[in-house]
Amino acid sequence: MISKNKIKQKGQIYLMLSPNLILFFTLSVYPIIWVIRFMFYQYGGPGTGEPIFIGLDNFRRIFTKDPIFWKSVINTLVYAGGKILLVLPLAFFAAMMLTKKNLKGVGAFRAILFMPTILSSAVMALVFYLLFNAYNGEINKYLMTLNIIDQPINWLSAKNAMKVIVITSVWGGIGNYMIYFIAGLQGISNEVYESADIEGANFTQKLFCITIPMLGPVLKMIMMIAIVTAFQDMSSIMVMTEGGPINSTMVMFLYAYQFFFPISPGSLVSTQFGYGASVSFVSACIVGIITIAFLRFSRKLDEIY
Amino acid sequence: MEKAFVTILKVLSWLLLISLFVFTLYPVIYTLLGSLKTNAELTLGKSILPEDPQWVNYIKAFKDANFFQYGLNSLIVSSATMAIAVLTSSLSGYVLARYKFAGKKLMLSTYQAMMFVTIGPVALYPIMNMLSKIGMEKSMLSLILVLTGGQITNVFLVMGFVQRLPRELDEAATIDGCSIFRVYGQIILPLTKPILGVVALFTFRNTWNDYITSLILTMSNRKLTTLTVAVVQLKYSVWAAAEWHIMLAGASLAIIPVLSVYIFTNKQFMSGLMEGAVKG
Repeated sequence: MISKNKIKQKGQIYLMLSPNLILFFTLSVYPIIWVIRFMFYQYGGPGTGEPIFIGLDNFRRIFTKDPIFWKSVINTLVYAGGKILLVLPLAFFAAMMLTKKNLKGVGAFRAILFMPTILSSAVMALVFYLLFNAYNGEINKYLMTLNIIDQPINWLSAKNAMKVIVITSVWGGIGNYMIYFIAGLQGISNEVYESADIEGANFTQKLFCITIPMLGPVLKMIMMIAIVTAFQDMSSIMVMTEGGPINSTMVMFLYAYQFFFPISPGSLVSTQFGYGASVSFVSACIVGIITIAFLRFSRKLDEIY
Repeated sequence: MEKAFVTILKVLSWLLLISLFVFTLYPVIYTLLGSLKTNAELTLGKSILPEDPQWVNYIKAFKDANFFQYGLNSLIVSSATMAIAVLTSSLSGYVLARYKFAGKKLMLSTYQAMMFVTIGPVALYPIMNMLSKIGMEKSMLSLILVLTGGQITNVFLVMGFVQRLPRELDEAATIDGCSIFRVYGQIILPLTKPILGVVALFTFRNTWNDYITSLILTMSNRKLTTLTVAVVQLKYSVWAAAEWHIMLAGASLAIIPVLSVYIFTNKQFMSGLMEGAVKG
């Protein structure tokens, strides 16, 4: 016997879930369904004829006739690798320095380093674009005034642009990951350190035998977040270099994006929605594979410790 | 010997930390101070301080570049998105924390999966397509709803928080004959204020700072453009080559509101993130 009340309650439950579920379905799930459908088609958009079913041709093209896509994959790996290798140690260092509670003003210091995360990455990318400008940018001006260089460096050249976008994203990320590390460090009880002190452990021993192992779970989460966000980073790159010059900073999702929308106002869009969908799909799979590989790898690390 | 080594290490650490402070603060200070310089000062000048504060740059930004309208758009859109995000994520978070229902497992696992699966901004094309079919591609409501999105992280945040609230409170209310809505409104909502504050803060920041989604959704309706989009678009406009001072004034306009809020709420930002990290 199902009471009337229970039915009424179930109804209320679904009613309360519905706003969020509707938004989730239309904005997160539906686009994925769209991509999975259109990646098997050739479609130039409304007004260019009907979508034509072409089976796996888009994928054949990706794997055999699209060197730019694979360049973008490598660029994404270089960018993500560079960003993570720089951001995480710096964030960990900052967290170690700013976790002691007896430091006056530690809240203010943390607030300073955390500040970039509350600012728009696109707006700050514009500022960094100005700072790294070859002739009028402050960076070159300082370097020349300090006589470190005598010619202005072209920071946004094909050779240097990747370094610049990595620096920009490291700037924006240190504070964020610092907070995660602080949360993790605070979870390690003081007693462990105290007993290590009693046994005469020095700083390096404490760091490598207590701190880093006990940060294990938090570190895993931090790496996951870092990997997934680094692979998705697009807006600052789009603003600073638009993927260039000569595709030297073109990352996967930016490459897929340009089959649908102009990278900068006025740039031409080669509307190939079917192909763009397949590129997005392959990119998402690459991120998925790397995520799973990382999880497997970190499980092995857990066993060692 | 070891003492000397440790001291050197400490000094180096502090030097590195201070360098990080300088590195972090410099671009922001450059933006704020640069917005008050003349263009000549910016391109040629050596000093970091403006010679004669050019407040007129801001007036130019407001008038010629229409930043008052765009700022207002940003304010309305960010506030509305914040309100809807708090509402939708708290409703779902509460139900998920307290009740069993058909499809709950599916919902939870789909939400978790979607935290890592992504196809990027390409998703905006099918969304725009769908909006054009119902004639809503130029409305502010569409912009707000798309920016709200599925709120996966926030749903989990609220769910975790409610799970830690004692069940006796709800049960006492339901025995009294309260509908779920009333339990939600009169008991859960007040108690979840801390986590909802975090949700509100982060949503406002994310929406105010958003670029790509706002860009694409306002492409066909310039009147709807948000401040962040308008500022970045300066890079491509006539202002770019010769008017750095206007670009920096625009950038300052985009960051000053968030910075002002940040001065008062930085503790909440940081502790909110820490909470999410530890429990997530």
